[in-house]
Amino acid sequence: MIQTIRLDHVLRETVRSPYADLVTRPTGAAVRTRIRQALAETSCRGACLDFSAVGLVDFSCADEVVAKLLLDLPPEDAPYLLLAGLSESHREAIDHVLEWHSLAVAAFPAAGGPPAVLGRVDPDARAAFERIADAGQGTSDEVAAGLGWPTERAAAALRTLALLRLVQAAGATYCLLPLPA
Amino acid sequence: MTRIVEVPAWFDDRAFDGFAGGFGAWPPEERILVDARPATWASPFGLTGLLTAGQALVEAGCEKPLFTVPASDDVSRYWAKAGFFRYAAELFELHGKVPRLKPDEPSDVLLGVTPIRGAEDVHDVVGRIQEGASRILHGELGIEAKATMGFAMALSESCQNIVEHAGTGGWVAVHAYTFRKRLGGRRAAVIAVSDAGIGFRRSLEATQMKRFGERWGDAAALEAALVHHTSRFRDPGRGQGLAGIKRYLARWQGKISIRSGTARLAIVPAWDEDVPLASGLPYFPGAQVQITIPAQQEPTG
Repeated sequence: MIQTIRLDHVLRETVRSPYADLVTRPTGAAVRTRIRQALAETSCRGACLDFSAVGLVDFSCADEVVAKLLLDLPPEDAPYLLLAGLSESHREAIDHVLEWHSLAVAAFPAAGGPPAVLGRVDPDARAAFERIADAGQGTSDEVAAGLGWPTERAAAALRTLALLRLVQAAGATYCLLPLPA
Repeated sequence: MTRIVEVPAWFDDRAFDGFAGGFGAWPPEERILVDARPATWASPFGLTGLLTAGQALVEAGCEKPLFTVPASDDVSRYWAKAGFFRYAAELFELHGKVPRLKPDEPSDVLLGVTPIRGAEDVHDVVGRIQEGASRILHGELGIEAKATMGFAMALSESCQNIVEHAGTGGWVAVHAYTFRKRLGGRRAAVIAVSDAGIGFRRSLEATQMKRFGERWGDAAALEAALVHHTSRFRDPGRGQGLAGIKRYLARWQGKISIRSGTARLAIVPAWDEDVPLASGLPYFPGAQVQITIPAQQEPTG
């Protein structure tokens, strides 16, 4: 099960503002606290942060909401996190702050299409993620065949993705966390 | 005794050092009269700088400064439309005719002078600017519509510098206007953010002074912030605001310059002839940031 957390709702509960912009560090910190509460109150294995009704996201707020949330997650048994409904400017701000901290997250664009990794991952892991995103799931052998790599190289890239919680491993098969319906 | 500080006729970032020099040693011992009668034009940098001067004098415990309004009715009207007199009346003893505003006149004021005192003010300016910014940036400056969000981001981050670092309030204004001397007559959108706070040197002293050694001063502090993206906070996520602004400006050939204390540091694009670093300038309190986004094509009108 994946829990959807609508950031426009969280923002409205957190800040008295007629606008739907995620700006400033105090706002970001307050929103992150609410997200952590929501994560703690559920038994879901993953959470999807839905940005689709959010206006602007600035760098400071992206740092507080997304980067610090990832940094705060427990090292073991942390929930999977997905971002969804991202505009190009959201992606730019979030990608910038994740790069800064050497973090990464899977993100679905608002315009539709396959997810992408935002932030910093090595090129092999990024290519393997794109392969899994295209196919929906895959084994090391399948990813290796698709990319023309030796199996060990694909296996190492997929292990990296699983370690970063960008894909789930189910036996020998790796898959993306599905978007909630 | 009263010291007269004359407002330059053409009051923009380039003329600012002359204005700052008029105050002499800071804080001035004499009562200050800011004489704006000769002013024929002021950029948002000039207007926010004037309010910062008034604020800094009041906060330094000086006698409330005097202010003579521009002799030209047109100039006074423009300043009134830009929201200047609304706040100037609180900081200065105004002398001269302050015009009454006619609402809804067409204007190139994207965001009138607005005080920034807390995070809620940043929310407000970011929310208010977006519609107008899209009209100006996309409609007039030929910048892709998606760049509007980046512009609002730059505005948000520069205003947050006041909230996070100044230790007091400040001012922001955003105008679009035609550059007569620079930019080959192109239009540009200009964000000016100014505060009367502690400045970059004092803000960064505790964490950066040792690193810079004898070089430490206003110029080194600006370098630490704008070039090395350091912050007074030990939180490793800090410093990203200015880094993000620079990334946005690099894409749209924009310029950022920051003046603090006695120095000014700029990231200078090809269209400008400004020096990257100027030091030994007349002291002025706090920090003054200017961000300029030029039109991407020939002017349309």
